[in-house]
Amino acid sequence: MVTLQYTIKDPAGIHARPAGLLSKTAKAFRSEVLIEKDGSTVNASKLMMLMGMGIRCGDTITITVQGEDESEAAEAIKAFLSEHL
Amino acid sequence: MKDKIFGVLQRVGRSFMLPIALLPVAGLLLGIGSSFTNPTTLEAYHLTNIIKEGGLLFTILNIMSKTGSVVFDNLALLFAMGVAIGMAKKEKEVVALSGAISYLIMNTAISTLITAKGGVEAMAENTTTVNLGITTLQMGVFGGILVGLGVAALHNRFYKIQLPQVLSFFGGTRFVPIICSLVYLLVGIVMFYLWPPVQAAIAQLGQLVLRSGYAGTWIYGIIERALIPFGLHHVFYMPFWQTELGGSVVIDGVTVQGAQNIFFAELASKATERFSVSATRFMTGKFPFMIFGLPAAALAMYRTARPEKKKLVGGLLFSAALTSVLTGITEPLEFTFLFVAPIMYVVHCILAGLSFMLMHLLQVTVGMTFSGGLIDLVLFGVLQGNDKTNWIRILPVGLLYAVLYYFIFYFLIRKFNFKTPGREADDEETKLYTRKDLNERNASKNQNADSVSALILAGLGGKANLSDLDCCATRLRVTVHDAAQVNDALLKQSGASGVIHKGNGVQVIYGPQVSVIKSRLEEFLDSPAADAPLSLPEASEASAAEESKISHRNTAAIRLFSPLEGTVIPLEQVPDEAFAAGILGQGIAIEPIAGKLYAPCNGTVSMVFETQHAINLVTEDGCEILMHIGMDTVALNGEGFTTHVKTGQSVRTGDLLISFDMNKIQNEGCPLTTPIVICNAEELGNIEIVASGAVRAGETILIIH
Repeated sequence: MVTLQYTIKDPAGIHARPAGLLSKTAKAFRSEVLIEKDGSTVNASKLMMLMGMGIRCGDTITITVQGEDESEAAEAIKAFLSEHL
Repeated sequence: MKDKIFGVLQRVGRSFMLPIALLPVAGLLLGIGSSFTNPTTLEAYHLTNIIKEGGLLFTILNIMSKTGSVVFDNLALLFAMGVAIGMAKKEKEVVALSGAISYLIMNTAISTLITAKGGVEAMAENTTTVNLGITTLQMGVFGGILVGLGVAALHNRFYKIQLPQVLSFFGGTRFVPIICSLVYLLVGIVMFYLWPPVQAAIAQLGQLVLRSGYAGTWIYGIIERALIPFGLHHVFYMPFWQTELGGSVVIDGVTVQGAQNIFFAELASKATERFSVSATRFMTGKFPFMIFGLPAAALAMYRTARPEKKKLVGGLLFSAALTSVLTGITEPLEFTFLFVAPIMYVVHCILAGLSFMLMHLLQVTVGMTFSGGLIDLVLFGVLQGNDKTNWIRILPVGLLYAVLYYFIFYFLIRKFNFKTPGREADDEETKLYTRKDLNERNASKNQNADSVSALILAGLGGKANLSDLDCCATRLRVTVHDAAQVNDALLKQSGASGVIHKGNGVQVIYGPQVSVIKSRLEEFLDSPAADAPLSLPEASEASAAEESKISHRNTAAIRLFSPLEGTVIPLEQVPDEAFAAGILGQGIAIEPIAGKLYAPCNGTVSMVFETQHAINLVTEDGCEILMHIGMDTVALNGEGFTTHVKTGQSVRTGDLLISFDMNKIQNEGCPLTTPIVICNAEELGNIEIVASGAVRAGETILIIH
């Protein structure tokens, strides 16, 4: 299991498009990617749930990756976050 | 069961309104006309010089009196026809004819039996009458209602009957007067034997009244009111008014029998110092509740009517109250609440009875020609002087009655939510109707087809618009009367992939399953549900929604309707890589031409974006839909968007979700392209896009199989 934290810097937060891209990134791996904010957790492959989190600029999210390809997946997500968000 | 009885009673009550609407006018004509043509009245007021029999004024008044009277004399016929019309589901003109003929036949059967059994002389006194020239039993309005209800029931049962080929001319609506005539011939025979015992029992009640003093007066009042709906009150009170049952007095050397005769003899006699209370106890009690009580009840009904209906019921209630006040004709008012709220009529009877007793106790002695309105009060009370009549005592009692009636009626109507005029639900008639249809529908074999068929029928402009119905291999071929009534959007909602118009010919393309669709539509056309009035757009939306559920159940398909008016473009052409690549889901995009986004299906709002530029819906089946208004509109930070729903709210197809200012968005440099995508399409199945080019909101855009 890999855990990482990230604070959103994009002024628009995780709105529709970034959520779609994040979700797609997560789905590319077999590991389960969970995103937690303020005590609620969603599976990153569930786009609708992810959008429903309403993650805004300045929010800190905790990402938990678990599965056979967890380290690659965590790396990919980390790269995505720092590039887009 | 209770609801059903209540529902029927409500319809009966409403069916009374047609004949009742005539009564106030007839009542005024009769009240004014008869008061001033009554020879006793004319003599008492020395009007014989002005209103002379044979003179112009007298003749005019007499015409008023007689024309008013003819309405009341034939009230039973009016009810036979009016109630039948009110209770019939359709083909109402047939039921009116049947009601009239059945009423004549029932009375003629009775009449023939009366003659056969020794004529009117052989019958008990006051039990017969002449109705439309037919000597028959005195059944009053009850006889008419008996015919009206029965005929309507027979009509609703038989108006669509199919007879064997040779007799087919007599089938359908033509069968209704035939069967009604035969049934009421039998009813007439039964009533001839059944009714006289009822009348005899009532005459017995009269004896009870006489033996019980003040309490007897109360009982008299209660019974007199309670018998009005059955038309039996004449049987009951006439003996008191006209025979020795109501007393026997020697006035100016002549023996006079009957309460009313005694009063008028005393009125005519110069020797009278006070009128006899033993006679007027059977009359005076009417004044307090007719002049004060019932109009107050009308006010209570007016005050409890829904605001938007007040104007409408105000006219009915005001004219009915005016009739009661002026002439003492109370049926117009009483029938407005008798059937919708029988308990109020019970209260009314008790209070009316008390009024008679109070007048007896207070020694008020005002007589009347036929009822207790203001005209009679003035003529036989006020003008006679308080010394003779104590008429002033009516006023405090009357005011007390006004207060009592107002508050009791107001309270009862509110407490039990009685559907007095102006309180009925608007669509009650339709609702009752559809609930019944629903039962029939459940009983029928193919339940699922109905909502689709209903939608098709609505799309074709209703049953009345159909001239001919056929199909070929893939198309429903229909000839309609008015092509303008055909609604392509509704037809497409029903699953059609296209609609072709050629004059009054319409071809609706469904594919190979069209033959099933056609036969179901034909069956549906024969069911009563097809006659239900089309109420658009709610009905179409509701049935569309229902249909989408049904089709999902049958074929596991989810249907989305266009949330926007505009032009459909493929998702790949959306000027945004993520959407174009389908990263947010599969679907289509629309270039809107109107700034309103509607719900494309039933579902729950799972999220409204803070910036209001996008909305997520989840359907009952778990289909996740994202609608994103414009491109890069997140940057507008909500400017130009107004959201009409909240996260977590349930919505139905066609509900307005978001309105947006198209100019503002474009001025900010954002394209209006709005993708509509299914986020979890891969979990659900194949998406078939069925729309292209221009779409209107509500047309089917895609189906998920």
